[in-house]
Amino acid sequence: MVFAEISEFLLDIVGPTLETIAPYMPGEITPVVLGMEFFQRALIAAILATIVGGFFGSFLIMRNLALMGDGLAHVSFGGIAVGMVLGGVAPLWYALMFSTLAAVLIHEMQTRELLTGDASIAIFLTGMLALGLVVLSIWDVGITSTVQGYMFGSLLIIDNESLGLIVVISLFALSTLYMFHGSLLATTIDAVSAKVQGLPVRFIGLWFSITTAAVVVSMVQIVGTLLVTALLVTPAATGQLVGRSFKGCMIWTQVFGLASVLLGLYFSNELETGSGSMIALISAIMFAVVLISKTVYEQYIMQPVANR
Amino acid sequence: MKHAHHHDGEVVIQASDLSVSRGGTIVLDNINLTIRQGDFVALVGPNGSGKTTLVMAILGLLQPTKGTVEILGRDSKKMKFDGQIGWVSQAAANLPKNIRITVRELVTLGVLSTNSLIPFRGKKKDTQRRVDEALQIVGLQDVADVDIYRLSGGQRQRAVIGRALASNPEILVFDEPLVGVDRASRNSLLKLLDELCHKENKTLLMVSHDLPAIRQSAHRVIYLDLVHDNDCCSGGIHYDGPTDQFPDLVGLAALRGIRDVHEEVTPVVINPSPVVVYEGSKEEK
Repeated sequence: MVFAEISEFLLDIVGPTLETIAPYMPGEITPVVLGMEFFQRALIAAILATIVGGFFGSFLIMRNLALMGDGLAHVSFGGIAVGMVLGGVAPLWYALMFSTLAAVLIHEMQTRELLTGDASIAIFLTGMLALGLVVLSIWDVGITSTVQGYMFGSLLIIDNESLGLIVVISLFALSTLYMFHGSLLATTIDAVSAKVQGLPVRFIGLWFSITTAAVVVSMVQIVGTLLVTALLVTPAATGQLVGRSFKGCMIWTQVFGLASVLLGLYFSNELETGSGSMIALISAIMFAVVLISKTVYEQYIMQPVANR
Repeated sequence: MKHAHHHDGEVVIQASDLSVSRGGTIVLDNINLTIRQGDFVALVGPNGSGKTTLVMAILGLLQPTKGTVEILGRDSKKMKFDGQIGWVSQAAANLPKNIRITVRELVTLGVLSTNSLIPFRGKKKDTQRRVDEALQIVGLQDVADVDIYRLSGGQRQRAVIGRALASNPEILVFDEPLVGVDRASRNSLLKLLDELCHKENKTLLMVSHDLPAIRQSAHRVIYLDLVHDNDCCSGGIHYDGPTDQFPDLVGLAALRGIRDVHEEVTPVVINPSPVVVYEGSKEEK
C-alpha cells in the first residue's frame, strides 16, 4: 500500500531524531516510548491532526458550526463499526466514506433550508452512532478494546496505513486551505457580499464540508470519536479569547492546540491514562484558565473597554 | 451637499418590463428603470414593497421571470461577477459576533474575486495598494489594525464600505447603511456617501427608510409600493424623480390615493400614531 509506504518514509526521517532526544525527555515512561515506533507514529499523527484541526475548528466556530465536528465524528464511528464487520480495508476508510457523505448531506440540507441550524447535525450524530452500536452487537463484535480505542482514542490502533492516510488528509486540507482561506473567510462573514464579489460560495461551502469531514476522520484514532471536539474546537475557542485579529487567532489556536496535545500525550504516558481523555481534559483546562485570567485582567487590571 | 440630477451620464443599470416572482407570487411587476453613471439613487418604500427583491435582481442574484435587467451593458442572466458592483450590507448591525478580524483584514477580503481567488504572491503589492486606497477613502487608516468590534457602529459601516471599494466597483449598492449608526457618525457617513458619488465618481443605489438622510444626500428617489390587484399584490414604482420634488408624507398619501383605492396598505411610518395605553375604566383608575 502507498499509504503504509508514506508512513514508513516519514518514520525513517523523524524516528532517529526522536530517538536521540528521547533520553533528555522528562518523566519515566515518555523517554522509553519516544523511541518506540508505535508512539512515534502517534506523535506525528497527533501533531498533524492538531495543526489542521486548529484551522478548520476556527472556521467551524466562526460559521456557528461548532457541533459539526462532534456530529461527523459520531458518523465516523458508524462507519468504523461497519468497516470492522465487513473488513477488506482499514476501518478508517469506511469512516472517511461515511463522514464525507454525511457532510455533503448536512451541507445540502442547510443550504436548501430543509432543516436549519444544528438539527440536521443532531440527527446524523445520533442515527449513525446508533447504527454503529447496532451493527457491533448484531455481528457479535461487542465493545472490544479496539472499539473503545475508536471511541476514546488509542495510540495503539494507529498503524502505518492509518498514519499514511492521516498524512495525505492533512496535506490535502492544508494546501487547499492555503488557496481558499480568503474566500472561505469572506463567505463566512457575509455570503451575499462574497457572491456579488464573484466568489464561488457554493463550491467553497461544499469543499469546506468535505474537507472538515476528512479532518475529523484523521483525528478519530488519536482522541476518539467522542472527544474530537477537544482538538477541533477547544483550542480555536481558546485562541479566539486571546487573539485580536484573524491572523492572531490562528497563531494562538496553534499554540493552544499543540500545547494540549503534547502535554496530553506526556501525562497520559506518565499517569497511564487514555490519550484522548487526557488531551481533552488538558485542552478544556487551558480554555478555563485563559477565560478566567482574561476576565480578571479585563475587569480589574485593565480599564473596561466599551463596545465589547 | 445636494447636486442637480445628472442627465448626461452613461446608462449603467437598465430594467425593462422587469417582473420577479418569489415562491409563486409576483413581487415586482413591470418595473422600468434607468440609472445613469454618477447618479445617487435612494430606493424607498414600506416593508414588503419589493425593495430587496429589486436590489437582488439588479445584483444578478435573482433571475427575472419577465423582462430584463442590464448592468453595465450586460444582461443580468449572463452576469459575470467581477467586482464591478459593490454590495454594502447592514454591517453595523449584522457582522457575525464570533469572528475576530481587523479593519485591514476585512477590507483585504474585498480584493478577492473570481480572477484572484487564489492569493498569488505576485499580486501582494497590488492588493496592498488597493487596500490602502480604500482605507484612505473611508478614513480608517488610523484604526486599520484594530479589531472591528472595538469600533463604533459608524466606523464599522465605513469598514464594510471599504471592503466593497477594494475591488474598485463602478456601482455601489447599500442596504440601510445608517441602521445602527450613532448620531455623530451619521453626518460624516452621509458626507462619505456624497464624496463617493462626486469625488470617486461612483454610482450609488441606497435602500433606506431614513427620509431625512435621503433628502440631505440623494439626487433621486424611487418610491416602491404595493399595487393591489384583486386578492394579490405586487410592487410597483409610484414615484421616480428628483429628491427635492419628492412629496412629503401628506403628498405621498395623496399620490398613493390616486393610484390605489385600497387603503389597508401599510404607510411609511415616520411618526407612529400614539399607542393607547389606557382606555376605559377598570375599577375607576
